[in-house]
Amino acid sequence: MTKTDLNKHKVVSPNEWLEARKNLLSQEKEFTHLRDKLSRQRRELPWVKVEKEYVFEGPNGKETLADLFEGRSQLVIYHFMFAPEWEEGCPSCSFWADNFNGIVIHLNHRDVTFGAISRAPIAKLHAFKKRMGWTFKWVSSGGNEFNYDYHVSFPAGVPKEKLEYNYRKLQVDSSDMPGISVFYKDGKGNIFHTYSTYSRGIDVFNTAYNYLDLVPKGRDEDEFEFSMDWLQYHDRYDQ
Amino acid sequence: MSTHITGTREEWLAARLKLLKSEKELTRRSDELARRRQELPWVRVDKEYRFDTDEGNATLTDLFRGRSQLLVYHYMFGPDYAAGCATCSTIADGFNGFGVHLANHDVTLSAVSRAPFAKIQAYKRRMGWTFPWASSSGNDFNFDFNVSFSEQEQREGSIEYNYARGGHAMDETTQLPDIVIQNAAMCGTDGLTYTRDRPGMSAFVLEDGVIYHTYSTYARGLDGLWGMYQWLDRAPKGRNEAELYEMGGMWWRRHDEYTKS
Repeated sequence: MTKTDLNKHKVVSPNEWLEARKNLLSQEKEFTHLRDKLSRQRRELPWVKVEKEYVFEGPNGKETLADLFEGRSQLVIYHFMFAPEWEEGCPSCSFWADNFNGIVIHLNHRDVTFGAISRAPIAKLHAFKKRMGWTFKWVSSGGNEFNYDYHVSFPAGVPKEKLEYNYRKLQVDSSDMPGISVFYKDGKGNIFHTYSTYSRGIDVFNTAYNYLDLVPKGRDEDEFEFSMDWLQYHDRYDQ
Repeated sequence: MSTHITGTREEWLAARLKLLKSEKELTRRSDELARRRQELPWVRVDKEYRFDTDEGNATLTDLFRGRSQLLVYHYMFGPDYAAGCATCSTIADGFNGFGVHLANHDVTLSAVSRAPFAKIQAYKRRMGWTFPWASSSGNDFNFDFNVSFSEQEQREGSIEYNYARGGHAMDETTQLPDIVIQNAAMCGTDGLTYTRDRPGMSAFVLEDGVIYHTYSTYARGLDGLWGMYQWLDRAPKGRNEAELYEMGGMWWRRHDEYTKS
């Protein structure tokens, strides 16, 4: 457990606190309204028709991108970092998965199908998912170019400056990075790519971080070389 | 939906890059708000509260479970509800999965409700949740942190929720919004009983054996803590519920109440 010195924080009467809190509240409300506005702007983005045919390995065999919609019109993909040669999925992505695993059922009832996609073979995905006790849909893109096309996997041997992540040149030495992509399927079966976000753009999907943003120590990661060094797989904390 | 403007990847990218700039600004604003929250002064908690928990009778200090920070989700489950609030349940479906990570980062996340502990236990078992959930039945905790209100306050219109008097849809007493009635029915109670309890999140810190209240948020302050909405905000149709609201409907159910679709 990390210990941050809270430095004998200022202590006040309830009335003084209330005044400071109300002042902050108006800024919080402004933020909420800005976020709503940004969500509207996001939905106004033009869409790009997906012309390529992607075939994934799913729990029950081959599935196309169209199949992944499972009859709904919107598909949200979490690009889960799990390279073919890894034995476990990325610990940080696992943290994100612990956030979304429980809410997928609710998204399904608002015409949204959720899926995770990784390059690792389906057998590895299946075994890891079972170990973690997750129930969301997870398919392998190991046999197609999906991860490369959506800028979350990077072919070996290509210089970083020629690769793109988060809409700029790739900055890190990693074969895979996290992201979220959104697709829409119209009544005729046409599929469109509507949105992708990476890096800190996936921050808000980690609700746990938004909880940490409310507590006195905040995210409390400054002392770590890698911000998430405190993190472990949820089944490894007592070991 | 099918009339949406489409473009080439280059056209999309130009629009996307512009949006990215606004997104980064918003992320930085969020970081700044987190800093300001941390700068808020604290208020010493002198009152002695007793809760019922899985470990028996417990103090507020006990709810920290040895950690220095405590986040309380004020889960709407009044003493006269037959079941916990269905809307709160969709929030709990999110934090049930990640409480373990917060626990490893010096934060105990606990739900607190006014319902008697036996009711809470039964409901938690039904929902398959594992987070700590205490009953504040018999103490003033919920009233002191402005998430429970008396019938008298309700009658007089003196409820102060989310730092304002009479400003919230749940403060209505004669013509409750349909969504409130529906939520109440899903808890097996009436609208007025349902709205005497409200949702919120409060933060506390324990230092040298003294507890301080540091932060509370209510109403749409919970929006960013509600995982499901962050995902829907990115989907082409968004939250996609305005029409349903006009018809008086709410689309979500408890996770064991959806019919297969």
